[in-house]
Amino acid sequence: MLLALAPPPARICLLPTASGDATAQIRAFRSTLGGRGYDASHISLFRLEHERVPLVEHLLSQDLIYVGGGSMVNLLAIWRAHGIDEILRVAWERGIVLAGQSAGAMCWFEAGISRSRGQARMVPGLGFVPGLLSVHYHRDGERREALLRMVAERGRSGYGLDDCAGVLIRERAVSATLSGRDGAGVFRVEPDGSGAARETRLVARELSSPRPAIDDVAEDIRELRRVRALKGTRATSRRAGER
Amino acid sequence: MEAGNPLLDDFVLSLTGSERPRVCFLPTASGDADHYIVRFYRHFRGSRCDPSHLSLFRRERAPADPAEHLLSQDLIYVGGGSVTSLLGAWGAHGIDAILREAWERGVVLCGLSAGSLCWFSEGVSTFHGPPERVAGMGLLPWSNTVHYSSEPKRRDALHAGLLDGMPPAYAADDGAALHFIGGEVAQIVASRRDARAYRVESRHGRIVTTQLATRFLGDPGVVPLPAPVRAAGAGP
Repeated sequence: MLLALAPPPARICLLPTASGDATAQIRAFRSTLGGRGYDASHISLFRLEHERVPLVEHLLSQDLIYVGGGSMVNLLAIWRAHGIDEILRVAWERGIVLAGQSAGAMCWFEAGISRSRGQARMVPGLGFVPGLLSVHYHRDGERREALLRMVAERGRSGYGLDDCAGVLIRERAVSATLSGRDGAGVFRVEPDGSGAARETRLVARELSSPRPAIDDVAEDIRELRRVRALKGTRATSRRAGER
Repeated sequence: MEAGNPLLDDFVLSLTGSERPRVCFLPTASGDADHYIVRFYRHFRGSRCDPSHLSLFRRERAPADPAEHLLSQDLIYVGGGSVTSLLGAWGAHGIDAILREAWERGVVLCGLSAGSLCWFSEGVSTFHGPPERVAGMGLLPWSNTVHYSSEPKRRDALHAGLLDGMPPAYAADDGAALHFIGGEVAQIVASRRDARAYRVESRHGRIVTTQLATRFLGDPGVVPLPAPVRAAGAGP
């Protein structure tokens, strides 16, 4: 879908900041675009792997800028530290297609529902798109609850996206809803007028045979992280017990 | 964490004065690079210390309360990478304030490259674009430059910055470490025989560089200063 918005030989740049420039994310991006006639690049804000990149010139010469997933809080804080937020605003005003996944999708909205600090909480975004966005909507029930609560308490509205679902924004409003997998839904969440949130499933256009998302984590890495998480829990409780 | 050279690792561990110090690695400046975290656990093994790391990119798998975790350490080790990204991420998670408190409580703070620059008022960082001045946390009221002899462009940028009002600088070669107690240099140590550190300052519009006396840690009979201390290191 995205690639249809920017056909070859489009210039497409990945910003893998939210993952800490994870090698796996950069590799997946490159292999998705590789051999298809694109001019693909990425900008690292942690390690200088290649040539230094003139940030403004490089980003503003792209047809599409893709933001990978990870920590939304870190993404925005690190962008601000490097002045990337202002460059992206100019890119947006110039009509460069801005896209992303997970934290990289939520960053364009006024706020997202992020686990950047552990619990699912509202985190301010760049605000190019009005309203709230929660990703991993049904896979991570706490995010859905947080979005429903924010909408009910603050009278704001927003969207919930299941994994493999997407929204296309034009002129600061949703112009299409997309689903790349059976059951992956897009949900509009808005105040119901009586202090609660109303959730409506929107009809999403089915996309055929999606490639794996670039943030998909290999099963062996998931396993390693589960083991490490378990060890971490034990270590923490042991330390707590010492006091 | 120099490959095959544990001298600086041994040195910072010795500064804690603890037999089995609690050591936390902050890999933020590298984007919490997995290979770097693995390297830390290889160098700081559980047999000689109680190692941990704090990830700011995967907080859901990190210690729930970073303040409690960091303030209970004997040594906090900050890894290299981008100092701008490091300080941006720390600010968003309140880590800078926690580290200041840790420092005031006497936790030994150390790090290399970006993990050295961060403790000072200002530093010279090279990233996308030419080397430029960056503000650090300012625990140490000086400027800092790392990789001093190996990167002439950094040295030139430091000199330009000093002539333009940067505070006097402590510069370190790879393998040299500046040990501060409070805001003052206590000693310079090195893991390589030829590694040196320098004080670089502007006097009446001229750059004056003073090479500082450096102890090579590999010589027999070298004993580090006793604890308690506050430290910040630089290099390799």
